[in-house]
Amino acid sequence: MPNQDSPGRYGAVAQALHWLIATLIATQFVLAIWADGLPIGAHKLALLARHKSFGMTVLMLAVLRLVWRLTHPPPGLPTGMTSVERVLAGTTHAAFYVLLFAMPLTGWLMSSAKSYSVSWFGLFTWPNLIGKNEAAFDLLRTTHHLLGDALFALAVLHILAALKHHFWNRDDVLARMLPFAKLETTKSEKRP
Amino acid sequence: MTKPIAASTALLASAFLSVAAGAAPGYSADPQQSRLEFVGMQAGAEFKGTFHKFTAAIEFAPGDLASSRFDVQIDLNSVDTMDKDRDTAIRGGDIFDVAHHPTAHYVTRSFTKTATGYAAAGALTLRGVTKDVPIDFHFTESPAGAKLDGTAKLKRLDFGAGQGDWKSTDQVADSVKINFSLVLKPKT
Repeated sequence: MPNQDSPGRYGAVAQALHWLIATLIATQFVLAIWADGLPIGAHKLALLARHKSFGMTVLMLAVLRLVWRLTHPPPGLPTGMTSVERVLAGTTHAAFYVLLFAMPLTGWLMSSAKSYSVSWFGLFTWPNLIGKNEAAFDLLRTTHHLLGDALFALAVLHILAALKHHFWNRDDVLARMLPFAKLETTKSEKRP
Repeated sequence: MTKPIAASTALLASAFLSVAAGAAPGYSADPQQSRLEFVGMQAGAEFKGTFHKFTAAIEFAPGDLASSRFDVQIDLNSVDTMDKDRDTAIRGGDIFDVAHHPTAHYVTRSFTKTATGYAAAGALTLRGVTKDVPIDFHFTESPAGAKLDGTAKLKRLDFGAGQGDWKSTDQVADSVKINFSLVLKPKT
């Protein structure tokens, strides 16, 4: 598997970042929903501490991923896609990038506003971005939840689209993000 | 010109009287300017708490440590960690249990001079449990009274401040730092 992205598929770094972040985000939803259902207590705080550590990890990986994406153009889209599908795919991916930053940042702001500093796995503490502010906390919590709902909807759309490409269009859109899958076709267009 | 003389005469006189009576001068902490804080550690991040209500009766003379004494009463309901959810949890039965033990009490037993200031041996009563908690402090006399700045360290679980889930130190560290800065006014 080449390290660089090739016209046909994503390289090892892009794939590693994609799957690592995807796994972390899936875990984030589980931790968030689990913690939300608990009364305030040691167990809830433990889950939220883990949620924050993972969230800050996502933020750091998002920076890496954005830099990588900007310096390593991804493989092109399959030739058979309509212009509507292309716009939809582009918008979905752009929205993912926005949320990769917006989710951790609103979470970090939320913790700051409630004066619960964010630790990274107990190794070091991130500075509070804003001072204690009850009204800001309420607003940020609502925003964090709404963005979370949007991220969930986007992820469902993303997964359905990948499956549609794989099983319906029978192109390489899914396979080129999988480390071990063989590319069946070379239908992807070459980037200029 | 006469004022400083009068003041120093008064000071001398009161010092003499104190010595004669075998008691260090008495002060009380000015509630407006004094601070009593603790620093806890939750999930690897520090959080600060303040007690807004406490009374401190301080009898202290650098030259008469034997008759010096601190007596501090802390209203545990006045705890403020900048988050009402956290405050409610701390006041609750599993931590401070303010319903049964609304105040904490600290009394010194003896004082020693240290390289940089003073150390006091004393006992803290919290949740009905009395344990020794030594403190280190600086004492600075001023025309208006004195200033007392110090620190202490305790283990919350020594006092049972952490029952049920809170007994675990995975999330909330056992060790708690105490910082205080008291502005002392002579007792009238």
